[in-house]
Formats: sequence, C-alpha cells, structure tokens
Amino acid sequence: VTDPPPVRCLLGMIGVDVHSRGLRTVARILRDAGVEVIYLGEHNSAAGMAAAASAEDVDVVGVSFSVSTYTHYVAELMSELATINAADIPVMVGGLIHPEDVAALLDLGVDAVFGPDSSSEAIVEYVTGLAEKS
Amino acid sequence: MNERFGDLDDVHLRLSRTRTWGGLEIAPAYGPAEPDEAYGAKLGDPGEFPYTRGAYPQMYRSRMWTQRTIVGYGTPADTRAGLQSARAQGATGLDVVLDTLSQEALDPDHPMFGPEVGSEGCSITWLPDLEVLLDGIDLTSTDIAWHATVGLYPLVLAYANKQGYDLTRLQGSHMPDHVTLTLSGYGEKLLPVDLAQRATVDVLEHVARCTPRWAAGFPQCYNLRERGLTPTSEIAIGMAIVNQTLADLAARGVDADAIAPSLAWVSTTDVDLFEEVAKFRALRRVWARTMRDRFGASDPRSLRLRIACHTSGRSLPYQQPLNNLARATVQTLAAILGGVQSVETCTYDEPVSIPTPEARELAIRTQQILAHEVGAARTADPLGGSWYVEALTDELETAALRLLDQIEAEGLQTAVGSGRLEELIDEHNHRIEREMLDGERLKVGVNAFRSEHSSPPPRFQVDRAAVDAHVAAFVKRKAARDLEPLRAVLREVRGTAAAGANAVPAMVRAFGAEATTGEVWGAFRLGMGYPYDPFRAVSPPVPLD
Repeated sequence: VTDPPPVRCLLGMIGVDVHSRGLRTVARILRDAGVEVIYLGEHNSAAGMAAAASAEDVDVVGVSFSVSTYTHYVAELMSELATINAADIPVMVGGLIHPEDVAALLDLGVDAVFGPDSSSEAIVEYVTGLAEKS
Repeated sequence: MNERFGDLDDVHLRLSRTRTWGGLEIAPAYGPAEPDEAYGAKLGDPGEFPYTRGAYPQMYRSRMWTQRTIVGYGTPADTRAGLQSARAQGATGLDVVLDTLSQEALDPDHPMFGPEVGSEGCSITWLPDLEVLLDGIDLTSTDIAWHATVGLYPLVLAYANKQGYDLTRLQGSHMPDHVTLTLSGYGEKLLPVDLAQRATVDVLEHVARCTPRWAAGFPQCYNLRERGLTPTSEIAIGMAIVNQTLADLAARGVDADAIAPSLAWVSTTDVDLFEEVAKFRALRRVWARTMRDRFGASDPRSLRLRIACHTSGRSLPYQQPLNNLARATVQTLAAILGGVQSVETCTYDEPVSIPTPEARELAIRTQQILAHEVGAARTADPLGGSWYVEALTDELETAALRLLDQIEAEGLQTAVGSGRLEELIDEHNHRIEREMLDGERLKVGVNAFRSEHSSPPPRFQVDRAAVDAHVAAFVKRKAARDLEPLRAVLREVRGTAAAGANAVPAMVRAFGAEATTGEVWGAFRLGMGYPYDPFRAVSPPVPLD
C-alpha cells in the first residue's frame, strides 16, 4: 500500500503588504502536517499567483492579508484564475479579514475564509481534507 | 488650514505631583544606603554610567516622556486634520504614518496597487504633499516623528530648504534603519541588504554632519519584535545592527560621539511587564558599555541611551477587542517603569483597522492617567533593587550578549542574507503557536475564557473620493513638469549611488526639483545595480543613461 500523494498548497501574498508572519507560520504548520507547500512569499501580482497555481498544479491556493484592501486583490485573483481556465483550484483567504467582508469573499468564489478568530487546526483540517475530495 | 497649530510649549507636560495620593513626599530616586562597588559597576544611580537605572538623574521630573500619538490616513489634507485633532486631545508628540506604497517608495499612480493609496497611512510622495501636510507647522519647534524609512529624510530636507530653515535647527525624527525592513517582509526584492545598509549609512552620515538636532530612531527594533523576536533577541539583533553601522560610519570619518547622541532605540513593550522593564535596563547597560569600550565614546549623550517605545500591536488580539485597553495600559506602564523617553500607546482597535478617533483618544487618555494619577513617573527606576527585576536584567543581558556574539561571528549582512535571522524569527513564532495550542500560553478571549458575545468594533473608513481626487491631481501636476532639469537631478542620484558617494545631497536636490519618491529611489536603485521598479512595471520619466 502506498501513501496517497500529499496535498499541494500554494501560499503567497498579493500587493504591497509585508505582514507575512502569519503566512510563514501557516506554511510551517502545513508542512508539519504533511502538506507540500509552495511558498511564494510577499509582493506577488494576482496574475503571477494564478500562473504559479496552474504551473505547479496545486490542490489549493492560500492568500493572506493584514491590510484592508483584500477584497480588491481577491477579485483580481479569481478573475485571473478564470482567465487561464484554473477556476477549479480552490482558494482560501486568511489574515485580518473582517466578518462583514466574508460573504463578499465567498460570493467571489472563495472556498474558505480563515479570519482572526480561526485556529491553525482548522486550516490544517481544511487543507488535508482536500486530499479526500480529490 | 489657517487655524493656529498649537506650540509644543502649550502642551508640554510636567510631572504634576511628587507626593503620593496619601500625601507622602517622594524622592527623585532611591538606592542603597551605602553603595558598594558592584552597585556602581552594574547599576549606578539614575543618570550615571552604565545608565541601567535610567538615562537622566531626575528622569521624568526633569522631562516627562513624550506622549505620542500616531496619525496617518488618506490624503495629506486628511492627515493634517487628524494631526490637528490629536494635538487638541493633548498629544505632546505627533507621529505621521505613511501608507504602504509611500513606505516602499512606490508612487500613488503605480499601475499595480491603486487601492493601497491612503489605506494604511498617509500618501506622501513629494514636496507638494509636505506643503499641504505641514502648512503652518514650524519644523524647528514642532517635533514630528515620521514612521518612515525609505526616502523620507531627503524629502523633509528639501522641504526645509524651500521653507528657508536653518538645517542645524531642524527638529523631528525618522527611522532610517533599512536593514530591519529587509528582515520584516520587504525582502531582497524591495530592499536588498547591501542597498539597505548603504542607504542607512548615507542618511546617518548626513544627519551627523548637517542636521544635529534631527533624531534617528535607530535601530528600529519595533518591527523586528512584532515580526517575532524576544526581548533577548531584540537586544542582540539591535546591537548587531548598531555595531555594524557605527563601524561603517567610522570608515567614513564619523565617530560614535558624532552620531550616537542623535540616536534613539525604537522598541516595544509586550504584556510581560517585568521582562520588558528588565529589557530596558539591560539594554541601557549593554549600550553604555559598548559605546565606551568598543567605540571609544566619551560624550555622556552617546553613552546614555534614549528609547522610544511603541506598545505591541501584535499582542492585541481581535477577539473581544476592549480587553486590549487593559493590555495596552500594562504595556504603557512597563515602558514608563523601564524609563523610556517617549511612548505611543497602541489603540485597542489595532487588529481591526487603523484607529478610529475614539480609539486614538482612549490611547492618549491611558498615558495621561498613568502620568498624573498612577504616579509611575514620580521616582526614577522604581523597580530597581527588586531581586526579581535585577536577576532578570542580568539574565537578559547575558543571553543577549551570547546571541550577539553568534551573529557577529557570522557577520550581520550574511546573517540577514542567508535567512538565518529569519529562521530565528520563524522558530519563535512557531513556538508561540505550539504553546497556544498546548494551552501553555493562555491569551484571554483567544484560547481561554472565550466570550460568545464578542462583536467587532467600528471600522475606520478612508474617504476614497478624496484619495482618487488627490491621485488625479498628482498625475496632472507630475505630467506638467519640465523634464530636462528632472533628468539632471535624477542622473545625479544614480551617479552618486553608483560612485559610492553619499547620495543624500543629490536626493535633496531631486526632491527640490519636484521629483517623486518612486523616481528618486528608483534612480538610487539603478545606481546600486537593481531594477528601477522592483515590480518592473514602471520606467523613469526620462531616460537616465
């Protein structure tokens, strides 16, 4: 019996936000849980993230924000993914996400939102759960 | 905007009472009845080497800490209105925060980042912005602390020149520590470590030679602590940056006594009150001995460290945000018991948005209560002599010096470039995460004592229409500039950067010719061998070859 292939997860930040501490910690926790993390770090464009998601054939894309402009960048990311026929890759959004904005993010097609009140366990559970779905 | 802007003297705070509420008269400082040799060597009275017990003999009796408040949102006109109201609430020091684009030296018309303009701070790009923000404010008598690093100093100098100020009387401060930004998410893309250190040394050399009353918040350890350092590693990494920079300055003929009096350590207080107090005490001792023994400083102003403290934003969780008022109060008290020279108290809504006016007022009131009601400022180093605090001070110092040795054995730039310091930070953050999960580290409202009725407080909203109009006016005025003089000054920035000379004077001339921060910094990057725009989406307004 061979182990199932690990979930592949692309993590990065879009825009000029430098608050990558949370994302770096999430990357490490996911790796510890056996997830294959492709970590792009700060200062990506939405188009660059989408292209990397497709090229790396990932199971999920995670973007994190600690500034208030996230809805704009998430909309850009979803549109870029659609443009390159990669809209089927689920997107998770984390960071300082205000509860009032969650509905708008889900309407854009975001699969999961992990705001300031989410635990790291919930993130691990969501990402590793994608293996069973695929 | 013609409203009179209050002078510092109107609001400068003095200690209002030296007796306890019960009526007992309190001495400016207390100490052993018969000081022995160990006391003199390790502690000394307040204001005496090695300054463990404070930088000044009378501490807050001679000068209260500056009660600072942070303002910055939207357009320069918006932030100007915010400064006015902060001053009206009694803030004695005003801090201006720039938006993320301005901090990263990207202009507001950068094609990739429109919604960032004015979002997390004030958009400040060029001379016309300062003319709006500072209208009627005299920079030779008003102390503005700029929460900015890249490009800010030459921009303010260009403004001062245009106003006709005597630069030797220019007041204010900024945070010229570029290397901590490299470590704090700017990375090699925005601030390669060689370019970062070069920019720092250029600015500090210029400060030493031309603007002696300008203060430099250096090293900038606040960002690093927020990123993931302990009080111990704050001292170690901060001193590694200081030691490298003083050595670089010495190579340019600027000795420690020429620059150290202009420096103030930018620090933070987390919620562990005693550990933070011990840190400030250990830090002053390490600083004094380093300045004297390693750099041969003899000016008391070099040996006694001034500290600027901004309470920890990271420590304030989103859950039940009103609890943060209690945390920020203890953190502010830690800063005062630790003998710092200025404090910015974080607003309780830090994890929600940039401060609402109400939250900002509460932060100022917190400091006023500590200053006038609690009595924390009556006597110098009130925790000195506590067995606990003295032991903690010694332990912090020993551990910090051990780590500093390790970093210096590798070399600062290598330790930054190789990712070793970032690993140290990651390791700390991972440990916190594990401890939170295991319940070994309890955070009220987060992983313990959670409340079901927590609702988020109101969010601050920036006036987007005003920002859009501001950007449109910027684009129009920029397009109307005469390009030939601009080309000359930007070429000079590029040329001095490439030649290894101090680029600050050329940058000042460029800002004086209405160049933008993106252009000036882009020319500097080109001279250092990096792309003009780190995102490769913008070209210079005129070819600079």
